[in-house]
Parts: sequence; structure tokens; C-alpha cells
Amino acid sequence: MRIRTISITAAVTTLLCLLLLPFTIRAEEANEYIAIRKQGAGRIAIALDRTASKGGRESEWAGSIDGTIRSGLDFTGLFNLLQAPANMRNPQGGALNFAALNSVGAEIYTGGTMTKQSGKAVLDMEVYDALSGKQLMKRSYSGEEGRLRAMGLQFCADLVELLTGRKSLLFGSRIVYISNRNGISICDFDGQNVEHFTASRAISMNPVLSPDGNYLAWTDYSSGKPDLYIRNLATRSTVSVGKPGVSIAPAWRNGTDELAATLSFEGDQEIYLVKPNGMISRRLTNSRGIDVSPTFSPDGSKMAFVSQRSGAPQIFIQELRGGEARRLTFSGSYNTQPSWSPLGDRIVFSSVQKGGEINLFTINADGSGLLQLTSGSRYNESPSWSPDGSMIVFMSNRQGGKRLFVMNADGTNQRPLVLKDGEQQQPNWSRVK
Amino acid sequence: MKHKISGIACAAMILLAGCSSKSTISPVGQAGAGTGSGAGTGAGAGAGAGAGAGAVSGPVLGDIFYDFDSSALSKDAQEQLRQNAAWLKKNTAQPVTIEGHCDERGTDEYNIALGERRANSAKEYLTTLGVSSSKLTTVSYGEERPFDPAHNEEAWSKNRRAHFVTK
Repeated sequence: MRIRTISITAAVTTLLCLLLLPFTIRAEEANEYIAIRKQGAGRIAIALDRTASKGGRESEWAGSIDGTIRSGLDFTGLFNLLQAPANMRNPQGGALNFAALNSVGAEIYTGGTMTKQSGKAVLDMEVYDALSGKQLMKRSYSGEEGRLRAMGLQFCADLVELLTGRKSLLFGSRIVYISNRNGISICDFDGQNVEHFTASRAISMNPVLSPDGNYLAWTDYSSGKPDLYIRNLATRSTVSVGKPGVSIAPAWRNGTDELAATLSFEGDQEIYLVKPNGMISRRLTNSRGIDVSPTFSPDGSKMAFVSQRSGAPQIFIQELRGGEARRLTFSGSYNTQPSWSPLGDRIVFSSVQKGGEINLFTINADGSGLLQLTSGSRYNESPSWSPDGSMIVFMSNRQGGKRLFVMNADGTNQRPLVLKDGEQQQPNWSRVK
Repeated sequence: MKHKISGIACAAMILLAGCSSKSTISPVGQAGAGTGSGAGTGAGAGAGAGAGAGAVSGPVLGDIFYDFDSSALSKDAQEQLRQNAAWLKKNTAQPVTIEGHCDERGTDEYNIALGERRANSAKEYLTTLGVSSSKLTTVSYGEERPFDPAHNEEAWSKNRRAHFVTK
């Protein structure tokens, strides 16, 4: 039983959220059903009914939508998907039999109908609290046949928001990564709709999309050495930082149009802020040895990064307005690749361990609450948060070749993304579509 | 076992020699390569095969090797660099690229930086021995181009290297 009455504060917050929504929810009822999901909490038991249709084309669309909704909700790790019981609808009027739903342990019921109207697919969805029989949401989605997946995912996003009280940024998000066959590539959050940015034969590394989705930054060897490139995706013009030495590991700074990257043109590997036109804005680090792999707090005021300043690589945090860097990680002798959660609370990183495994951990920005997410699965690297902070994508070679995996923020529900373009690595999860 | 590994290394070098029209194949062994050690024999065979194909001529500039997460030069590395310096001072017109490489452990970005420090450490040592820096360029490949793709310390120890390429 995971649904519970929530506190006044949460109810007010929820109401504010609901007021902003473009669709109708009976807010005073819905807010009773916000399921607050905590680490270790169980899943929401949801009965997914088959979408009703009259046959023909509409049935095909309904089947397609059902598949999208089922896999979309399953992907979140929030739900326990139940088969709707056969006796769920009374034979005459089609009214829902909530007693039947309760008997299979369903907390939430969703179902709908698919019709064809003026050539378009129209999906009418309803969501009920299975315990009380109250309707929580009723919404229509319509679009051309080619938009069926988008319609199904929009319903998933609406449902997750209804039940968690937080806007879901998962279903519109994309993951940019390196394919060993196709270079810089991008796919939807679930590995669908793969596109390739470049067909460069040079080694390419660490692609990252800017928060506004207007720019792609990456490193490649097309000049013969690792150089940093920034492409304006609208104009397709590309600039290079074009400095001697290495130019690597770009990360966009939230709240600005700048990125940080490690450059070595002054002799030592230091982190600099770089503008989208490739010009250097300013230097951020100043210590002998390697400084690399920046990542920023959600407001862009703090940077976590890897430094060799204490000997072996460890993660440090510094304020961008100035001041000494503070060491974050003390457990383990080789900690790299920090990624700061969009929720601001946790930093995920990879750690090379004595037994030879590389494992992922999260830690609070104050150094408390170290949590190991992976173990017994060879190399796990390049973690990157989903835009809503609920999940992490990473590279693992636990099944042999390098593949992209996703897991929930607490390390549960680890599974591979199904991608068919050879091996993949260095994923970066981006909010933008 | 030792012979088997040398054989694999040898085969790999023959392959490499066959692919490259301008790289000099370097010995895989520690300092003293080419003086009769097992690794030196492998290197000699590799270079010989390359020369036979008309692809390789000139010097043998030996690789140097590093400890994990280190760009410090060991005694063996310094000895190999002295041998390399001796040849470079006799062949002052020859441009040389020093490639810095890492093993697969650790992470991609950090290893690019580490590979650069390795290449730079080799270059700096050569210049202290009197080699002109004007013909020496460096590039880091991090863990992107392992010499030996196996996943064990034997492979890793070969992959943590500075590799010298003449053009």
C-alpha cells in the first residue's frame, strides 16, 4: 500500500502544480492520491486495461498505444503493471468493477478508447483510484497516425505527474552517446528513434547537448589530436576551440550558455569556461596535475570535478564565484566522472575498485550518504542523470561489449537499453527533444 | 607462456606494419629491446616483416612504460629514453610524434589527460638529454588505442606507454 494521504504542505504544492496543467483534473480529489515514492518504497500497483476500439485501423492503433504505454510506464520503475482482471467490467453497462480490481491488488486503474475522427487517432484515457472508485484524470489525446507513440508517451507523462506530484521530464528526453559504428548518435530515453549526428571516422568522445538544446559539444580527433567542437544545431555551423594540447570533457553550465572543458594549452590540464563561439571565457582551476570532468549544480553556481591535486584522482567541489575547492570523495583511491543530479541533492560518480571492477556510487554534495549502485558487473562508467533526476544512464560491459544501461536513482531496476548500433558508450541524458 | 605472448605481440606488430605506410614499429619490450630478450626478438621480427613489405625503414625508437595512474619515468623508461635520445641526436631532421597511451582501467576523459602527461614526460626528458623539442610533437590517445586489447595486467602493462612514431 503506497498511496497515502499527504501533508498540507505537499497538498498545497500539488495544487499549485495542478493549476498549471492544461488538462482537467479534479484537483481536490487527485491530491489525495499522490503517491510519494521514496527510496526503497514499493511500486504503484496499476491495472492497465486494453484500449477499447471498434476494430480495423482503430484496433491496430489501440494495440500500438497499449504497447507504448505499457513499456513507457514500465521504464520508469515506478509501477507494478497488473493484468486487468477479466471480470473488471460489468457485462451490461461497461461500468468498472472495482471489487475485481481490488481483488488483484490494483491501486490505480487506467483504460481508454481509441477512435478515428476526421482521419486522426483520438485516444480518450481515464484514470481511477481503484480503492475508492474515484476518477483521478480524464483526458483526450489526438494526432496523426505517426504521432501514436508521442500520444502514448504524453499520457505516461501525465499519469506519472498525477501520481508523483512532479512534472515528468523523462518521456520527452533523449540520450546522446558514442556508437562504435556510427559515431555521435542520439536516441529517445528508452533507446528508440536512433539518429546519427556524424559519420566521422576519427575517434569521437563525450558528446553533450546544451540545456536549451541549441548546441552540441564533443571531442574528436579529426585534426589528429583531441579537440573540442561546438555545433549550432540550427545553423549547422561548427566551431573548434583550436588550442594546442588536449581539449576534452565538455559540460554545459546550467543557467548560462557556456560550457566547461579541460584544456592544456597553458601546459597543465585545467578547467576553463568556454563560450558557444569557442572563445575562452575564463579559467576555473589552478592546480598542478589533471583537473577534468566538470559537472554543475542545477543553478550553475557550483562545479564538481576530478582533480589529481591530492595524488590519485578524487572529486572536488568549488564555487564558481571563487574560493578553495573542497574534496568530496574520501572512500576509494580512484573516483572520477561526477554527474550532478538535476534535483541538486546527489552526485553520481564512477570508482575504480581494488578488485578491478569499476562501480557507480552516489553521494550528497556535503560528502554524506555514500551509496553504491552497481557491483559484481565489471566496468560501469560514464553515469548521467535523467532530466528529472529519477534515473541514471551509464555504460556497462557486464554482458561483454560496451552497452548503455539505465537504472533508478537508488540503483534498482538495472537493465540495458536496446540499441542495435554495435557498442555504445559515454551517454549523456538531455532534457531536450 | 612467455614465447606464446611474444608470438602474439609479434603477429600484432606484423599486422600493424602491414597497415601503416609511415609508422615505425617500435619494440614492445622493456629497456634493452633488440638486445636479445624475448620481447626484443619479437620486435625485430615485426620490424623485419615491415621492412620486407617496403613499409618501414629507419630507427627503432623503443616504447617506454608506466605504472598505473602515473606519468613518472621509471629507471627502465629513462634508459630507453637515453637510447632514443642518442638516435634522435644523430637524426635531427626526423620529426617524431610521441603518443601517450593508457590501459583500459580508469575513465576515458581522465585517461586522455593522463596520456598527455605521459607523452609530455617523455618529451621533456628527451629535451633534457639535448634533443631539440622542435621536431617532437605529442598526442594523447588515452585508452582509445590499446596495443594489446586483452583485459589483464599483462596487456595493461603494455598499454601504459609512450610510443614513438616517425614520419
